[in-house]
Amino acid sequence: MPLDASLLVQMLLGALLGLSVYLPLRAGQLSLATPGFYAIGGYTAALLSTRFPALAGDGALYPLPSLLLELVLAALIAGALALAIGGPVLKLKGIYLAIATIALVEILRVLNLNLGFTGGATGLFAIPQPFEGPVGYLLLSLAVLALVCWLCARLERLRLGRAMEAIREDELAAACMGLDTARVKLLSFLFSALVAAVAGVISAHFLNTWNARQGSFDASITTLAFVVFGGSRTWLGPVVGGLALTALPELLRPVGDLRLVVYGLVILLGPILFPQGLITPELLRRLRWPFRQTSAEAPAP
Amino acid sequence: MNTAAPLQAPLQAPLLHLERLSVRYGRIAALEEVDLEVRSGELVTLLGSNGAGKSTTLKAISQLVAPSGGAVRWRGQSLKGVATETTVRLGIGHCPEGRRVLSRQSVATNLELGAYLRRDHSGIATDLERCYGLFPRLAERRSQLAGSLSGGEQQMLAIARALMGRPTLLMLDEPSLGLAPKLVAEVMGILAELHRQGLSILLVEQNARAALAIASRGYLLEAGRVSRSGSATELLDDEGLQASYLGR
Ligand SMILES: Nc1ncnc2c1ncn2[C@@H]1O[C@H](COP(=O)(O)OP(=O)(O)OP(=O)(O)O)[C@@H](O)[C@H]1O
Ligand SMILES: [Mg+2]
Repeated sequence: MPLDASLLVQMLLGALLGLSVYLPLRAGQLSLATPGFYAIGGYTAALLSTRFPALAGDGALYPLPSLLLELVLAALIAGALALAIGGPVLKLKGIYLAIATIALVEILRVLNLNLGFTGGATGLFAIPQPFEGPVGYLLLSLAVLALVCWLCARLERLRLGRAMEAIREDELAAACMGLDTARVKLLSFLFSALVAAVAGVISAHFLNTWNARQGSFDASITTLAFVVFGGSRTWLGPVVGGLALTALPELLRPVGDLRLVVYGLVILLGPILFPQGLITPELLRRLRWPFRQTSAEAPAP
Repeated sequence: MNTAAPLQAPLQAPLLHLERLSVRYGRIAALEEVDLEVRSGELVTLLGSNGAGKSTTLKAISQLVAPSGGAVRWRGQSLKGVATETTVRLGIGHCPEGRRVLSRQSVATNLELGAYLRRDHSGIATDLERCYGLFPRLAERRSQLAGSLSGGEQQMLAIARALMGRPTLLMLDEPSLGLAPKLVAEVMGILAELHRQGLSILLVEQNARAALAIASRGYLLEAGRVSRSGSATELLDDEGLQASYLGR
């Protein structure tokens, strides 16, 4: 299949979701809550744009200021939820945190499936379009992804980013150095929620419809695969993972039923051949990547 | 204007004072009513064999574990319920057991992270050079990844990193662990030098002889209780201690 604009939009959204899983992982927190916050973003956009005619304006296209309002509100709601549950949930370690965040995703899914205003199992339809076609979405997603990447690259060099990395390597040692580990972990969880919610808003408009299936356990695993495949030690890893693994099933369409086998093989072989993911800080340093100065690198003496 | 009373209290209070400190891990009592104090400028050692509760004592002081009874007092004030971050801010440096350097970060980044809570950039730069002066081997390897250092170098990095927080009291958890005798002597020499420069030190050790050689006082912990305490010379002459801890 051709690499058309629609597929590119999905790939960019995949990259954003990869970054959302990567952010807490940078602080050593295996959170699989990304699809939950993604769903919140999508429902915020779907509800606001379909239930409030005032936001839709009178033109043929959905006004961009209304879209911006949705982005802000979705970020606020997802952020508030992340801060509220982050405190207790982030006390859990490793696989226990993963399970608790999967539970969160499931609770949200079941709620969305059963609440009246979310449209139940059928979901919400006819979400208005702010752009004429996929190219508008492409530009918007690209701009958002570029912004998030830039922030992540900065974060890797900032004090907070270094603190995250230290917690990931050794939480006790980090605490002994005076890092407020609980706060740093909470911030990384908050960032994750914000990125996922923003992706959800764009996705809801792009898909034109939104339902509870958008935030499911499957999505937790898929988005985690983006990071495992691409690498979790530098922001470029989840971006590459998200782009590649979203595109792969579509690009493999010509091989028919074999495509799931090939997809599975890639996901299986990736971590075997590249245990740290495709992209590592060491690799970037070897390739003399222009933004290679990650926290793993020594400052000039 | 402050009255005389609150001014007097900190002058008389020891820097660190453990009052009947108890810690439990579920049903295991790791520490039972431990009394210990470190006065300003002292080098005190806490001795004991495996599982005696030495690391637990340091963790309780740093609030990494919550005491089940008793109190940790810093300059007379109880540390009950404060965050570990605050204990570091107050001047309690904790160099944990087993070095625990950040192996994927450079030596320099490890040291910079040791100064995480500080904002005085010129002071940090001065202390960095001071650490490199104290540990020349770290200076040569400043851009090397910490994970690629030898065990002894990692221990020096761990000590230097704790110093970068500019502690008033430096707590070290078995810094001689796994080091060759020559390196143990080197580390002890550096601690003695830091003590001479005025740093207060609480040194946890199993190597009683090496620790008592530089300490002014010591405590012996057995099964979570202080079984002996006294000046370094008293402890070196103690027959019970000689039999089980000094191998004489
Ligand atoms: N997290 C924990 N959970 C349960 N029990 C623990 C925990 N940490 C320590 N203990 C127990 O508490 C007791 C004291 O442990 P601690 O680590 O303080 O000993 P230690 O004197 O430092 O020993 P070592 O010299 O071997 O380091 C031991 O019996 C240990 O098994
Ligand atoms: Mg110990």
